[in-house]
Amino acid sequence: MKITYNWLKEFIENLENISPAEIAEKLTMSGTEVKKVYYLGENFKNLIIGRILSYEKHPNADKLSLCNVDIGKNLLNIVCGAKNFKDNDIVVVALEGAKIQDFVIKKSKIRGIFSEGMMCSEKELGISDESDGIMILNDSFKIGEDFASQAGLDDWVFELEITPNRPDCLSVAGIAREISALTGLKLKKQDYVSRYIVNKDEKLIIDIRDYDLCPRYSAKIFKSNDYPDTPLWMKNRLMQCDIRSVGLLVDLTNYVMLESGQPLHAFDLNKLYSRKIIIRKAKKEEKLLLIDGSEKILDENDLVIADEKGPVALAGIMGGKDTEINEETKEILLESANFNGVSIMKTSKKMGFRSEASNRFEKKLDPENTINAIGRFEELLCKICNIKSENTFYDNYLNAKRRRSIDLRVKRLNDFLGTGITAEKISEILNLLGFENNMGKEIITVEVPSFRFEDIEREVDLIEEVARIYGFDNIPVQTPRTVAKQGRYTDEQKLVRKIRNILNGMGLNEVINYSFIGKKDLLMFYLDKENDYKDYVKIINPLNEDFEIMRTSLIQSLVRNAKDNIFKKLNNIAIFEISKVFKSVKIDEKKKSIEKNTLGILLSGKSSLKSWDMQEKYFDYFDIKGLAESLLDIFYERNDFLVREHEYCFFHPSISGDIMLKNKKLGVIGKLHPKIINTLDIKQDIYLAEIDLDIFIDNISKEKEFRQISSFPPVNIDMAFIVDEEVKCQDIENEIILSAGRNLQNIRLFDLYRGKQLEDNKKSLAFSLEFNAIDKTLNEKDIELLIKKISGKLSKKFKAILRDQ
Amino acid sequence: MMKENIDDLKNILDKEFEDFKSAVKKVETLSGLENIENRFLGKKSLVSEYLKNMGTLSNEFKPIAGKTINDMRRKISERLSALKEEISLLEFDKKLRNEKYDISLPGRKIKTGSKNILNQIIEEIEEFFIGLGYEIAEGPEIETDYYNFEALNHPPDHPARSLHDTFFIDENILLRTHTSPVQIRYMEKHKPPVYVIAPGKTYRKDYDVTHTPMFTQIEGLAVDKDINFGNFKWTLETFVHAIFGRDRKIRFRPHYFPFTEPSAEVDVSCNMCKGSGCRICSYSGWLEILGAGMVDPNLYKFVDYNPEEVNGFAFGIGIERIAMLKYGINDLRMFFENDLRFLNQF
Ligand SMILES: [Zn+2]
Repeated sequence: MKITYNWLKEFIENLENISPAEIAEKLTMSGTEVKKVYYLGENFKNLIIGRILSYEKHPNADKLSLCNVDIGKNLLNIVCGAKNFKDNDIVVVALEGAKIQDFVIKKSKIRGIFSEGMMCSEKELGISDESDGIMILNDSFKIGEDFASQAGLDDWVFELEITPNRPDCLSVAGIAREISALTGLKLKKQDYVSRYIVNKDEKLIIDIRDYDLCPRYSAKIFKSNDYPDTPLWMKNRLMQCDIRSVGLLVDLTNYVMLESGQPLHAFDLNKLYSRKIIIRKAKKEEKLLLIDGSEKILDENDLVIADEKGPVALAGIMGGKDTEINEETKEILLESANFNGVSIMKTSKKMGFRSEASNRFEKKLDPENTINAIGRFEELLCKICNIKSENTFYDNYLNAKRRRSIDLRVKRLNDFLGTGITAEKISEILNLLGFENNMGKEIITVEVPSFRFEDIEREVDLIEEVARIYGFDNIPVQTPRTVAKQGRYTDEQKLVRKIRNILNGMGLNEVINYSFIGKKDLLMFYLDKENDYKDYVKIINPLNEDFEIMRTSLIQSLVRNAKDNIFKKLNNIAIFEISKVFKSVKIDEKKKSIEKNTLGILLSGKSSLKSWDMQEKYFDYFDIKGLAESLLDIFYERNDFLVREHEYCFFHPSISGDIMLKNKKLGVIGKLHPKIINTLDIKQDIYLAEIDLDIFIDNISKEKEFRQISSFPPVNIDMAFIVDEEVKCQDIENEIILSAGRNLQNIRLFDLYRGKQLEDNKKSLAFSLEFNAIDKTLNEKDIELLIKKISGKLSKKFKAILRDQ
Repeated sequence: MMKENIDDLKNILDKEFEDFKSAVKKVETLSGLENIENRFLGKKSLVSEYLKNMGTLSNEFKPIAGKTINDMRRKISERLSALKEEISLLEFDKKLRNEKYDISLPGRKIKTGSKNILNQIIEEIEEFFIGLGYEIAEGPEIETDYYNFEALNHPPDHPARSLHDTFFIDENILLRTHTSPVQIRYMEKHKPPVYVIAPGKTYRKDYDVTHTPMFTQIEGLAVDKDINFGNFKWTLETFVHAIFGRDRKIRFRPHYFPFTEPSAEVDVSCNMCKGSGCRICSYSGWLEILGAGMVDPNLYKFVDYNPEEVNGFAFGIGIERIAMLKYGINDLRMFFENDLRFLNQF
């Protein structure tokens, strides 16, 4: 919202003693944030009021005139293209250096004749859209004076942000009240309430059907044979507040709304079917053509203003086309009403349309304010049109009690704020804000004025009022007493952070992706075909279709990151993400969403680049598997986990498995399916692993036990077995561990051989084993026994043949 | 033949030792040393010759001559082994020095990864508050209307709801628009004193230069006996100084949030212009960094606390905003694009 300094001066005595910058600071620091404050005159420099003394046709151009213009100090020759002036007309002259629509005026020759300035139209000055001829001023403007000061442009504009709890501040009057409380300067009272009486004649009947939706409807009929143009100062103020001037009556409703905060609407009285105004809910399918030309089909949730024939306005939002005022209008019905904020908000949301009026109504306005707006409108109209004012109005007001008194405990306030503010000071602040109060030593009884009835309900609301006027800056900073609690991470939080650090150390960059994906991403990864991934949670109002599904896996996001980087020629990628995935489950016939903390890892491109003494190496499946194993090794025993073949639609059918932890599925691991790689148009392999972090963390044993270290020398032996190609290395290894018993310290596959020395469909697996006993040196006989035991088991179970050493 | 005169013998041997000394002076290699050893201690050396002929000497002279010759032999031998050690060390050193090695060649680096900048900032903030006795709480990202709005003093049709453009799953289920619901859930389970912060992802339906549909927040809450506005100011001032440095000024600007009363926006002085106004701070000299306030007593009703017995304050911090201000990152969307060149910088 914008308001101006001069406008505020009309409401506050001696405001000129406080600079606009000072006012801005005070408002900002009391809760009315001033986004910007700027001097208007900057844009209106070198504009002077002049009088056309005489003019003649331009000797070289039929359509141009050559004018002799008096600007006080001297006479200027000005070439002009307009036709709408005559001798002695008062005009605005832009001198050298003036800025007109971003164009700086210079003395120049026009068709061979020197022009010493330019006479401006309203559009050129930015006052209205009127571009038909130059602006002719009335004779209240003084020749030779600065246009800016004469037209009320020697002014400052404040751009304010009003919080939704303060609809009373959506007006010049409301802000003036704040400034008065902040500075102690007196308000100039404009009291219409006591002056106006209700007109009881039956020339207008106001029928409110539901006081809940319309607590008050005030109105007045005005008549004039002639409505002159809007005065320039008013046009300028509207322009400063971003409202276009369209004609006196509408300009007046807007002007009074900005000033008082009360929206007004003017109907052409003679276009109303009846003199009975009905405020009611719309009927289903009822139609209304609005001023903006759109036809709305209404229903019972919409509040309308109607005559006895049908609706004439959408209450609080926009008037109807059929009763709109125009140049022929002589008699108007001015509406100054109060509507239910929620109802207005719902309708305006449904229509997808907000106006200055609906924005104010939504925030719940004060019904006591309707008279002020009518009074101010009448005052201005009568002055401009030179008609007599009457001080009467029509009114239908339920007059619900809008009085509330609250006890404010002085001690409570000071305990809450950590201050020592006296009862006198509190009472004074409340008075300045317009809260009458009765000051006791310990308790101040406060009367809440009608204009703050909606937002001041409790003692704490009053404490806030006192605090913000007293100034947050003036409340002393106080060290809190020592917290009787130990700050800490939970074990789970510690583990997540530890895992993150470990993965960083392993060379992985941590990414964070949006939680939502598109349906097409889901389909591209065939997740709809996988039971563990297909049941997703859907957003009913997504940003767009790329953001409509809560991801059930981190895989698509990681692959997207890979793709984006590869497209930027950043081909070597090792990334991970720890985020939640979301799944939809049915519990007792009801759909529920579950969230799982998940770790996703992606490797692609080169794991090491060619360097002066090393060959380049590409990531492959055993890199991602090794990474997963290394991570698991830190928290688990070697035989707690393994990878088991399991085909997933999104993985290469031969390189796809489950990571099993203590016989439960912990996650998946594999190579991204080449079909998907092709679809994405990337030319490199991608390896992925996804781990359920909740399972990972829950299974970590809390206590770790120290294992005695043997003081006897270890024995290393190598064993190679020939087995069928179908036999899995993992199974052989597990069997060795099982049969070797507790003295086996380490086992490592050091060679895999297929080829000439073996029959077809056979392979040789060579293991290096390290044995060590805690209580003795293992001798040849012990080792021989172990070898026998291991090879016996393997031969029985896998038909494995021990190769000669 | 040896004369049986000890002085003569001594003279001859002394001369021999002088010869030995001048011979080793020039020697530089182990093989050179071997030649000398041969010459002075070998089979044909004077000392060996003398010792060989000991049998021909008289019984009186034999022990004296033997001792004198053996002393000389030991002297030469000791000197030789000392020299041997010296020369072999020199030769070893020379051999090492002859090894060609360019230590300026690049080492085999181990690629390290990086923690996401947002998590780095979250952890920095967590550590600060843990130091003040706070716990870390987490909660669901898919929330109910009750926890996200109603229990936070946003009844249905409250105008403040329009400040949150919410993603809905159904009429009552939504993506949380802030992490405040975590605090309600925490208070339901814990009695005061409560000191807790809740980091996490939050969602609002907004996507432009200054908004992403998902963003990261930390909200904090302290509820205890005797907490006042002055404590609230101390906590946030100390926080700002910890994160941005002690030289930064801070101001509390009254504002409106439905769940705090009084509410404040907290600004930190602009580092670019030192408060004189620039493009970064829209010429105000201040940068808004968080929203906060004293907990509205209405909230206590939802969690069964007695508002006459406890007070509290709450605050919400946008992590992306802190990161942008701290590092001068100018485009919010970069946080979720995951460009490796961005990730590797932190
Ligand atoms: Zn700045």
